[in-house]
Amino acid sequence: MSAVLSFFGAPAVMLARTVRASVRDGVPWRESMAQLNELGGRSVWLVMSGMAFFGAVLVTIANSQAKRFVGNVAVLGPAYFELLIRELGPVMSALLTASRAGAGHAAELSTMSVNEQVEALEMSAGDPYADLVAPRVIAGVLGVPLLSILGTVAATLSAVVVAGTAFGVDGRAFMDPRYVDGWDLLAAALKAGGCGLYIPLAAAVAGLRARGGAEAVGEATTAGVVAASLGCLLIDFAVSLAFQLLRL
Amino acid sequence: MRALEWLGRTGLDAVRGAGALGLVAGRTVLGLPRLERRELSRALVQFGYASLPLALATAALAGVIVVLQAGLYIQRFGARAFLGWAAGYGVLWEFGPLLLGLIMSARIGARNAAELATMQVGGQIEGLRGIGLDPFAILVAPRVVAMELSMLALSTFTFLVAILFESVAALFTLGLPLRVFYGTFATMLSPLDILGGVVKTGAFGLAISLVSTTVGLAARGGARAVGQAAASAVVRGCAAIFVLDFLLTSLLAGWMA
Repeated sequence: MSAVLSFFGAPAVMLARTVRASVRDGVPWRESMAQLNELGGRSVWLVMSGMAFFGAVLVTIANSQAKRFVGNVAVLGPAYFELLIRELGPVMSALLTASRAGAGHAAELSTMSVNEQVEALEMSAGDPYADLVAPRVIAGVLGVPLLSILGTVAATLSAVVVAGTAFGVDGRAFMDPRYVDGWDLLAAALKAGGCGLYIPLAAAVAGLRARGGAEAVGEATTAGVVAASLGCLLIDFAVSLAFQLLRL
Repeated sequence: MRALEWLGRTGLDAVRGAGALGLVAGRTVLGLPRLERRELSRALVQFGYASLPLALATAALAGVIVVLQAGLYIQRFGARAFLGWAAGYGVLWEFGPLLLGLIMSARIGARNAAELATMQVGGQIEGLRGIGLDPFAILVAPRVVAMELSMLALSTFTFLVAILFESVAALFTLGLPLRVFYGTFATMLSPLDILGGVVKTGAFGLAISLVSTTVGLAARGGARAVGQAAASAVVRGCAAIFVLDFLLTSLLAGWMA
C-alpha cells in the first residue's frame, strides 16, 4: 500500500516543488533548451528506428489478420492507421523515450546525489528543483510529443513501404485517414504530454533519493526506468478509459 | 570528411558490439557445465519471483487497453463475435511479448549491467580470474539461464492475466458475455498462435540477458561508468527487442501462411 502511495505521491510532490521553485526563481529557459536538445538528440534515432520496425510489424499483422477474413490490407488498413495514431504511436514512442531519457536522467541525478554535488549546489544558493528538475520536466513536456509525432511518421512510412514491397498492396491504402478525427489527435496529445511530464519526474524522484556508492547509482537507474515505463502505461490506460467512458 | 569519419566509427562500433556479444554468448555456453548453482537460484528469485507484480500489472493494463481500443471497432463494424479472437491474438502475438520485453529490459537489464559494471570497475572480476575462477560460469551463465526460465514462466502468467482482464473489461465496457468472448477465442486461435508468443518471449529474454551482461562487462572507468552502463543496457536492450520483434513476426507470419 505504501509502495502504491509513494509511486503516485512522490512525483506529485516533486511536481509541486518544481513548479513552486520555478515560480520563485524564474524558469531556466536556456537550460531547458539544452535539456531538450539532449533528450531529443539522443532519443530521436532510437525512437525513429524502433518505430519504423514497429510499423513493419503492425502491417504484417494487419495483413495476416485480413487474410483470415477477406481481401487484404486495404480492408483493415484504415482501422490500424487510426490505432497507430491514437494509441500505439504515442505510447510506444513514450516507452522508448522512458528507457532512454529516464535512464539517463536517473543516472545523472543519482551520480550527483552520491557525489554530494546536489548538496554543494544548495550550499552555493542554488535550488536543485529549479536548476536540475525543472529544465528536464520542460524538456520532457515539449520533447515527448515531438518525438511521438516523429515516431508515428516513421512507423507509417515503414508500414507503407512494407505493404508495397512485401504484400503487393498499394501502400496508400494503409495511410487512409478515413477514421481519424480530432478526438484521436486529442487523445494522442494527452497521452504524449502526460508521459512527457511523468518520465522526468519519476526519474528525478529515483535519482535524488540515491545515497551510497556506485551500487546506489545502478539501483536508482533501475528504479527510475521501471517507474517511468509503468507510469507511461498507466497514463495510457487512464486516457483510454476516460475516452471510452465519454464515448468519444 | 566528417560523414566518412562518422560512418567508419559507426561501422567499427557495430562490429565491436557484435564481436563482444558473440564472445559473451560463446563463453557462456562453454561455462554452462560449471554453472554456479547458488547464483542461479538467487537470480531466479530476483528475476522471476520479484518481477511477478510488475509483470502482472503490465499484463492487466495491456489487456484492458487492448479491449478499450478494440471496442471502437466493435461498435463501428458490429463485429462483436470477433473480439475474443482479435484481443487474444493481439496479446499473444504482439503486445504481450513486446511490453513484457520492454518492462523486463528496464528492470532486469539495468540491474544486471549495473551489478556487473560495479564489479568490473571495482576490479572484482579481475580478482575472480586471478584465483582461477571463470567469471562467465559464475556470473554470466546463471543470469542468462535464469532470465530465459523467468521470461518463459512469466509469459504464461502474463498471458493468462491479460486474457482474464480482457474478458472482464469486455463485459463491463461492451456488455459482451464471457461465454461469447471465450467461445470465439477457443474456436479461432490455434496452438500455433501460442507457440509464436512463446518463441518471441524466449528470444527477447535471451537478447536482454546477453546485451545487459555484455554492456556491464565492457564498463571501464569510475562511478560514472556504472550509471552509463545501466542506461545504455536499457536502450540497447529495447532496440534489440524491436529489431527481433520485426524479424520474428515476418518469419513466423510467413511460415504459418
